[in-house]
Amino acid sequence: MNSYGWLIDPKRCIECSACEAACKQWNQVETGVNVRWRRVLRQEAGAFPNVSVTAVSMACNHCENAFCQKVCPVKAIWRRDEDGAVLIDQSRCVGCGQCYVFCPYGAPQLNPATRKTSKCTMCFDRIEQGLEPACATACPTGALRWGKWEEIRGKGADRIPGFAHPRQMQPHVRFVTEPWRS
Amino acid sequence: MITRRTILRNTGTAAALAAAPWEELFASYFEEAKTVPYPPESIVTSCAICDSACGMRATVKDGVIRFLQGLPEDPHNEGRLCAKGTASAWIKNDPDRLKFPMMRTNPKKGFEEDPRWVRISWTEALDTIAARFREIRDKYGQEALLAVSRSSPAWFARLYSALGMERVDHNDMCYGVDIVVSQRTIGAHSFAWDLENAKYIVLFGWDMMARAKLVLANRLLHAKENGARVVNFNPVYTPTAKFSDEWHPVRPGGDLAVALAMIHVLLKENLYDKDFVDKYTNFGQYENEIRSHFEKYTPEWAEKESDVPAGVIWRVAREFGATRPAVAPLHKKTLAANYENAAPMCHAIAILNILAGNIDRPGGHYFPRTISIPSLDSIWPPPAYPKLPAKRVDGREKLPLAGSYGMFSTLADGMTRVYPGRVKFIFWNNYHLNSFPEPRRLAEALKTVEFMVLVDILPMDAMYFADIVLPSTMFLEGSDLIARTYNAKSPFVVVRQPVTPAPFETKSASYIAIELGKRLAPEYFKKPDGSWISGSELLDEQTKRAGLGENFAEFRKKGFFAKEQAFTPRTTFATATGKCQIYVPEFAAKNYDPLPNWRPKRDLPSAEFPYYLITVLPGEHKRNSTQNNPILNEIGGASYVQIHPSTAQKHGIRNGGLVRVRSRAGEAVGVARLTETVRPDVVVVPHGFGHKSPWLSVAGGKGFSDNDLIPAQSIDEVYQRGDWLGSGCIMDCVVAIEPAE
Repeated sequence: MNSYGWLIDPKRCIECSACEAACKQWNQVETGVNVRWRRVLRQEAGAFPNVSVTAVSMACNHCENAFCQKVCPVKAIWRRDEDGAVLIDQSRCVGCGQCYVFCPYGAPQLNPATRKTSKCTMCFDRIEQGLEPACATACPTGALRWGKWEEIRGKGADRIPGFAHPRQMQPHVRFVTEPWRS
Repeated sequence: MITRRTILRNTGTAAALAAAPWEELFASYFEEAKTVPYPPESIVTSCAICDSACGMRATVKDGVIRFLQGLPEDPHNEGRLCAKGTASAWIKNDPDRLKFPMMRTNPKKGFEEDPRWVRISWTEALDTIAARFREIRDKYGQEALLAVSRSSPAWFARLYSALGMERVDHNDMCYGVDIVVSQRTIGAHSFAWDLENAKYIVLFGWDMMARAKLVLANRLLHAKENGARVVNFNPVYTPTAKFSDEWHPVRPGGDLAVALAMIHVLLKENLYDKDFVDKYTNFGQYENEIRSHFEKYTPEWAEKESDVPAGVIWRVAREFGATRPAVAPLHKKTLAANYENAAPMCHAIAILNILAGNIDRPGGHYFPRTISIPSLDSIWPPPAYPKLPAKRVDGREKLPLAGSYGMFSTLADGMTRVYPGRVKFIFWNNYHLNSFPEPRRLAEALKTVEFMVLVDILPMDAMYFADIVLPSTMFLEGSDLIARTYNAKSPFVVVRQPVTPAPFETKSASYIAIELGKRLAPEYFKKPDGSWISGSELLDEQTKRAGLGENFAEFRKKGFFAKEQAFTPRTTFATATGKCQIYVPEFAAKNYDPLPNWRPKRDLPSAEFPYYLITVLPGEHKRNSTQNNPILNEIGGASYVQIHPSTAQKHGIRNGGLVRVRSRAGEAVGVARLTETVRPDVVVVPHGFGHKSPWLSVAGGKGFSDNDLIPAQSIDEVYQRGDWLGSGCIMDCVVAIEPAE
C-alpha cells in the first residue's frame, strides 16, 4: 500500500497562512463556520523579552491507527489503500462528534450548519492526478512538505512539545528539529 | 465509494452560496473535479495583489478558476504565492462585486445616507461624467478638480494630465521618504537586496518574513539557509524575530538612535569598506564634517533613546563592520520609515550600507537589472499638457524635495482648513477611505464635493460619497507586461493576462480612461494618423519594442521571459556627483540636514496618552483591500489590540475582553489580545479593518480602523519638522487604553 505523510519544519514557518488559503480554495471548504481543515497553530512561550513563538501548520495526520475511524459509530470513516488518506463519507456522517472528541489533533471539525463532520482529505483528488496536496504546493518556505511516507518516516522527530504522543495512533507526520546552520 | 461531489455538497459550500445571485455563473465552481488528467487548462499570469507581481499559474476549468499557484519557473517568487495571492480567485468571484455603472439618486452624502443607487449604462455614465466635469471646470476653474489615484496604469496618468487635474496618492505614507533619500545617497530607489549572499543582516523594525512581500521573505529565508547572522531591532517579537539570531525590543522610534550609534562605531574604529568608500563615495570630500557629526552619537547615548544596551550596539556595529558582505535592508514596512523621524532613519540606513560597501555589490543593496518596456508616452507622445495649478490642495509645493507624489496625509487638512470648498470634482480611483489618517475628517471634506466619480472593484466606503460608480476589472481579468524590480539580478518580464473573462459590465482601466479622454480631451488619445489609441495596440507595441515578441498575443502564450546576463557591479551611481553621497549637499542647499540628526518621533508618551501605538499589516491581508475575501477573512481574523499582560493588568483589561484605545485624533474599540511578544509600553493594532460599507457582506461593519487613531497633519507641520514627505502620519501616535465592558 502506498502511503504519504507530512514533514513539518516549524522554524521555517512565517505564519503566512498560504497553506490554509490553498486548502480552502482547492477544497472549497465552507468559510465563516470555523471549519478549517488546515490551520497554523501558534504557541507563545516565555516572558518578555525572553519570548519565543512556535508556529506549526496542522491538519489531519492520516494516522495508520486512526482513532476517529475506530470510534465512528456509523463507520463513515475509512483509510484508503491507494494513498493512506483517512476520509469521512459525508453521506454516512451523522455529526455525532465522536471523531473530533477522540482526535488529539483537532482534525475532524463539525459544521454546525450542516451537522456533518469534515476534515483534510490529503487532497486525494490532486494526488490521483499526480499533484501534491494544495497546502504543500502553496507553502512558500518549505515549512510544510508532503511526500512518500517511506521517505519521510525516518526524518526528524516524531513530535514536538505539546504534540500528542504518536505511539498509538501512528500519525503520518514528522518534525524537523535541526536548527539553522550558522 | 465517496466522490468529490459528496464531500463538497456535504461540507455545505454549495448550499451556503446557492442563494447568491452569482449562482448560475459559478455553478460549475462547485462541480465535481473531473476525472480526466488535470490540469485541464493552465494559464500563466502574474499576481497584482501587491506590486511585486509574482508569477502565477491559474488552473481554469469551464471558465472558472479552480486554483492559483506560483509559477514554478519564475525565480522571482520561486513558484510560490502568499495567502493573498492564493485566495485571490475569491476577489474575482466576490458576489458583492460592483457589476454595473451606478448613479446616486439621493443628493445627500454621508455615512448615514442611503445613496439610492440606480443602474445606468456605460454610455450614460461616461456622458454624465464628461458633462459634469465640463460644467464644474467652467464654473470653478481648474483648481476645483482633483484625482485621487495612482499614476498607473499610464492611461489614468495621461487622462489626469490632459485634463489638468492635480493628483494625490499614497506615496507619502509608503516609501516616498526612502525614494527622496535613495535618489540623493545611492542614486536610485530599489527594493532589491541580495540577502542570500549576505553574511550579516541588520533589520531595523522590519517584519520581513510575515508582513512584507513573499519575494523579500524568501531572500531572508535563503540567507538563513546559507548561514547568515540576522539581528532584528523591533518593539514587537514577530516571525522575523524568530528567524533572527538576536532580537532587541527597541523603543519605538529609537532605532534611529541605534543606527546613528552604529555609524559612530564604524567611523570611530574605521570599520568601513575602505576601498569602496574611497573610490565610490564622497566620504573623502566631507570626511571632517562626517566624522565630527557622528562624534556625539555614542552607543551610550543611544541606549538612553532606544533601550538597547550600549554594549549590544558596540558589538553589533563591530560585527557589522567586520563581516562582509553586511547589509541593513530597508523597506516601507520598516517601522522607522513609518514615523516622523523616517527621513533621518532612511538616510542613516543608506549610510550604513554605503559604509559596508554593499551598494550594487553581491550580498548587498543592488539596483535591479530590468528590461525597459517603452511607456505609453514614448510610444504615442502626447501634445503639451495644460499647466497645473500652482497651489495644490495638499500643499505639496511647500516641500522642496517631495517630487511628483501627492500626499494622503495632508489632504483632509487641505480640503477642510486650508482650502475649504475648493475641490468640486473628484476622480477617485481604487483607493480606500480607511487608507487615510483620520478617515472621518476626510469624509467630512468629501461631503462638500459636488461630483465624485468612483472606480473600484468592490463597494468600499468611498461609495458613500460617490455620485457615479464605475465597476473595474481586477488583475485576473486584465493584460499587462511587467518588468521585475524586486529580485531582478538579471532582467525578466512576466505577462499579466485575463484568466477568465471580465464578468458583468466591468471594464478595464484603459477603457475607462480612453472613453473619458475621447469625450473630454480627444487630442491626447489619438495616434499621429488621427485614429484612437487603444490598450491592446499599446501592449502589442510594447511587446515588439521591448523585443519580447511580434505582438502581445504571441508573448502571452509563453508568459515569461528571462534574459541571461552576468551581474556587473556599478562603478558610477546616479547621483548628481556620480558617487554615493554620505553627506548630501542637495539637502544642505534646501536647508535640510545634510547628515542625519537625531530627532524623536512626533508623538511621545504623556500622562494622558502613556503608550506608543504600533500598527501592523497582517500578512493575510493587503492593506484595506482584501478583508471581504471570506477565505482571508477567516484565516486572517478580525482586528485586535495586542497588549502586554502587565499593562493589561494595570488597567483591568482581560484577554478577549473589549478595550477602548484613545488617541488625540479619535478612539476605537477592539478585542484585547494579551501577549508577551510586545513591549509593555506598546499597543499593537492591525491595519485594514473597520470597513463601514454595508455592501461588503463579509467585511462590512467588522473591526475598527487603526487610522481612526492616527492624527492627520497639516503641510506646515510637515515642513516645519523638516520632513521630506508626510511619513509621520502612518503610525506616529500615542494612545491611552481602558476596558470597554
